[in-house]
Amino acid sequence: MSTETATREYRWVMPRGWWTRRANYFWYIVREFTSLPLAVWLLWFLVEVQRAQSGPKGYVPHSSTAFVIFSVICLGFALYHSITFLSLAGVILHFKVLDRPIPSRLVVLSQFGAWAAISAVIAFVLIYFAR
Amino acid sequence: MNEHSTKKRPAFDHLFFWFMFAQGGVIAALLIPVHILVQGILGPLGIVPVVDRHYDTWISILGNPLVKLYILVLIAFPFFHFAHRLRYLLVDLGVPAAKSLPAQAVFYGGAVVISLITIWLLLTTAPLSL
Repeated sequence: MSTETATREYRWVMPRGWWTRRANYFWYIVREFTSLPLAVWLLWFLVEVQRAQSGPKGYVPHSSTAFVIFSVICLGFALYHSITFLSLAGVILHFKVLDRPIPSRLVVLSQFGAWAAISAVIAFVLIYFAR
Repeated sequence: MNEHSTKKRPAFDHLFFWFMFAQGGVIAALLIPVHILVQGILGPLGIVPVVDRHYDTWISILGNPLVKLYILVLIAFPFFHFAHRLRYLLVDLGVPAAKSLPAQAVFYGGAVVISLITIWLLLTTAPLSL
């Protein structure tokens, strides 16, 4: 009788296209994918910074219709990422005031409020200093 | 395995990458949408005046050290976040090679390269002014 017992490793392999089988799997993958368009948009932003090296006569900001359409698509992905991220705050963050836990809905609301305030400040700076 | 042969060391690399990943996620969520809306849509369509539409205003604001620091944070942190997310997106889609050391070098190295390019651009584009 052999003293060696052959063991076989069981490896679970996700079936191809698993993420298309359920809507929540699909939206999970979409959320992970949002990184790609946002990264490309930030690179575009970096090009805008680089273009300022061309001097007053050579500087041309992004103005094409294609850029606007791309930005609209990116905004959709960016909002999806932000909304899903901030909505999780109620699960992740736990605060107590006078030994009473703050309701998760209030925590989420505060995160959205902070997002709105930060966005308003940035928009103000981008528009005010254009004058 | 001999227990005495292993020494516990602080995982500083984990600390760094998880810090960059977490902060990158927060920054991407809070800051990027408004930039896309204002600089990517409203500005190019001429709905509102935006600082980057004209050379004078753009070069002026780019010279501010706080703006330089802000742009570095806006780009560097999210790129570390994106690198991690995209690497695991590939793993989820059935590309186990994305877990390998070379893949990590490509993705996180890419984030480092983008960060260095951003620093270089910010230092060479507009002279510092307060």
